[in-house]
Amino acid sequence: MRALGKSFVRISSFIFKEIREIVRRPGVILSLVLGPFLIMALFGLGYTGARTPFDTLVVVPPQTDLPTDVEYYRDISDAQLNIVGVTENLDEGRAKLASQEVGLLIVAPTNAQEQLRKGEQSVVTVEWNTVDPVRESLAQFATSTLVAEINAEIIRQAAERGITLANEDAPEPITVPPETIAKPTRAETANIAPTAPTVIGFFGPAVFALVLQHLAITLTAMSMVRERLSGTMDVYRVAPVSSMELLVGKYIAYAVFSLVISAIVAALLIGVLGIPLLGGWVPFVAVVLLLTFASLGLGLLISLIADSERQAVQLSMIVLLASVFFSGFVLPVEEFLPAVRYIAYALPVTHGIETLQQAMLRGEISDTWMLWTLGGIGAALYLISLVRLRRIMRRAD
Amino acid sequence: MPPERPPSAPADARQIINVDGVTRRFGTLNAIRDVTFGINEGTILGLIGPSGSGKTTMIRMLTGTLGPTAGRISVMGEDPMRFSRRTREQLAYMPQLFSLYPDLTAEENVGFVAALFGMSPFRRGRRITRALEVVDLLHARRRLARDLSGGMQRRLELACAMVHEPSMLFIDEPTAGIDPMLRQSIWDELRALRKSGKTLLVTTQYVGEAEYADRVALLAEGELVALDDPAAMRQSVFGGEIIELETDRPITPDALSGVEGVERVRQLAPRRLNVVTQDAGRTTPRIVETLSAAGINVLDADEYQPSFDEVFAELVERRRAERREQSGEHTS
Repeated sequence: MRALGKSFVRISSFIFKEIREIVRRPGVILSLVLGPFLIMALFGLGYTGARTPFDTLVVVPPQTDLPTDVEYYRDISDAQLNIVGVTENLDEGRAKLASQEVGLLIVAPTNAQEQLRKGEQSVVTVEWNTVDPVRESLAQFATSTLVAEINAEIIRQAAERGITLANEDAPEPITVPPETIAKPTRAETANIAPTAPTVIGFFGPAVFALVLQHLAITLTAMSMVRERLSGTMDVYRVAPVSSMELLVGKYIAYAVFSLVISAIVAALLIGVLGIPLLGGWVPFVAVVLLLTFASLGLGLLISLIADSERQAVQLSMIVLLASVFFSGFVLPVEEFLPAVRYIAYALPVTHGIETLQQAMLRGEISDTWMLWTLGGIGAALYLISLVRLRRIMRRAD
Repeated sequence: MPPERPPSAPADARQIINVDGVTRRFGTLNAIRDVTFGINEGTILGLIGPSGSGKTTMIRMLTGTLGPTAGRISVMGEDPMRFSRRTREQLAYMPQLFSLYPDLTAEENVGFVAALFGMSPFRRGRRITRALEVVDLLHARRRLARDLSGGMQRRLELACAMVHEPSMLFIDEPTAGIDPMLRQSIWDELRALRKSGKTLLVTTQYVGEAEYADRVALLAEGELVALDDPAAMRQSVFGGEIIELETDRPITPDALSGVEGVERVRQLAPRRLNVVTQDAGRTTPRIVETLSAAGINVLDADEYQPSFDEVFAELVERRRAERREQSGEHTS
């Protein structure tokens, strides 16, 4: 019993020591509690849960007598399609789809009446341009719904006209098979994206971007904390070394290490998992360099503001958590409220995921603004880190 | 045994450090109060005082990592807060806190600091070997810093501080937490540096180490209590040389009244006395003669070397008494 009592005393010594240590580091508690809470709160408030509808263009060939009024098509389409316009020019529509100005193109049949007279189904061509397998499924579903709506509308109109599908001028009535009556139109679909990756193929570049950012952050987040807490920073203060030399040296060292690991991971993704690299190495390397630069800046900033190694680790984990939620890794950025999207765009990985997917799966980076933003984030973080380090180096108090 | 005295700095030696009326406050705490002293080129100044006396604060102000609240500091003719790059290349600082990279070898640690001070890779190799040789760590050059003993790590830090051949070294508590044998060897290395013409400012909380310095500055509660060379400081504190007497029968200080050269007598025990004189060599025979005439045999008469702990305690006590007196005057 006495031994048990002593054991309890010994255990309690650890309990109180640990609690006191934690309580005396308010920064740790703040990042431990407030960080995840804030992320979850922002996620809860900012996530709309609504799938972004496809911006859809309807092509109505000139020789048909189908309506060209946008509202007409809006009425017959469901919430998954956002009809943005109607055009007679198929080439123009395809160009807009190729440039991703629109996400879906519906081409009305040119000879619907003639087909029906012949007792054949007319064909609605639906094309989209996405490398995202989830979006592709949504497009398929939206097409099915649309065709069902069109068929229903045709049947309704036919019923209004006494189920007389023949032209009034026709010399004799026509025979229409029951299948055609039930489904006067059918859809033919096509995805014009340069590749249609599997789920692994689509998420591979995203995982790569996330790994690259997290690697760079965790590598650097501790480096300056250790030096600030030991006597090393005092040696730097006395030595003829400038804050810029110190920072650039750190950047290059960790960049080399990050890039070596990135090269290995990239080789595995491309060589083993078979993820395509349609754009070649140049845009891919450009994105990797910019993402590494920005991520190292984020890690170094953490290491310059954290008051302990423990807090540096926590802040790195919070960045990872925010990246998983807001970067488009799991949920598309467009599904968040506009205000919350700023958080997403402040994260290097958001731009890394999108531009890597474009470079690898589409063959070109269409959102070049994201590259500029990535470079801007990196430059801003470098400057903030430099200012902070200068302040630390200048005075010991 | 007191160490072999290094040759004194030449009389016309340039003053390399000048501290004039410097005060440093942290909030309401006065870490350094109105301190003034100077250091000549090619000397070791021992900045001595107990923990919290302001030694590290002073060394930080001298190296430009902390600004003074009041007063003026000049190191190698420059304000430390505005050191030029060229001046910084001439400085070395060994901090009190561990400043090595545990995952680098001894050689890599020294090489890193050499590069930090701008030494080209061509010059570095020989200097690294030399620095490791001086601190007797050449055999451990390929061992990781984390695998070295505490004393070896401290010596490695010293090698790091001297690798770029600085002319002024600031060494903060090099012997803290180190066993006496190793402390002696570290001081040997510091004195070897001083012999090669370097100027050193060394802080220590071991008052006894004052003997190794050319000049000693005693700091207590942020105040400069004394500044002198070790022998003169010892002598000035007790008013001269001290003879410790032991007799064969009880004796009182009155027995020595009137003996030429005796300035003060203190009773230590019934048969033991401390005698203060300006010249122990001349006064001792006179004392023995006087006591013999009175029928008292002197069993032992040695010149007493008070330890620096005693010197320091005496000086601090005097300063406290002065303060009490001053505050008493103010209140009355």
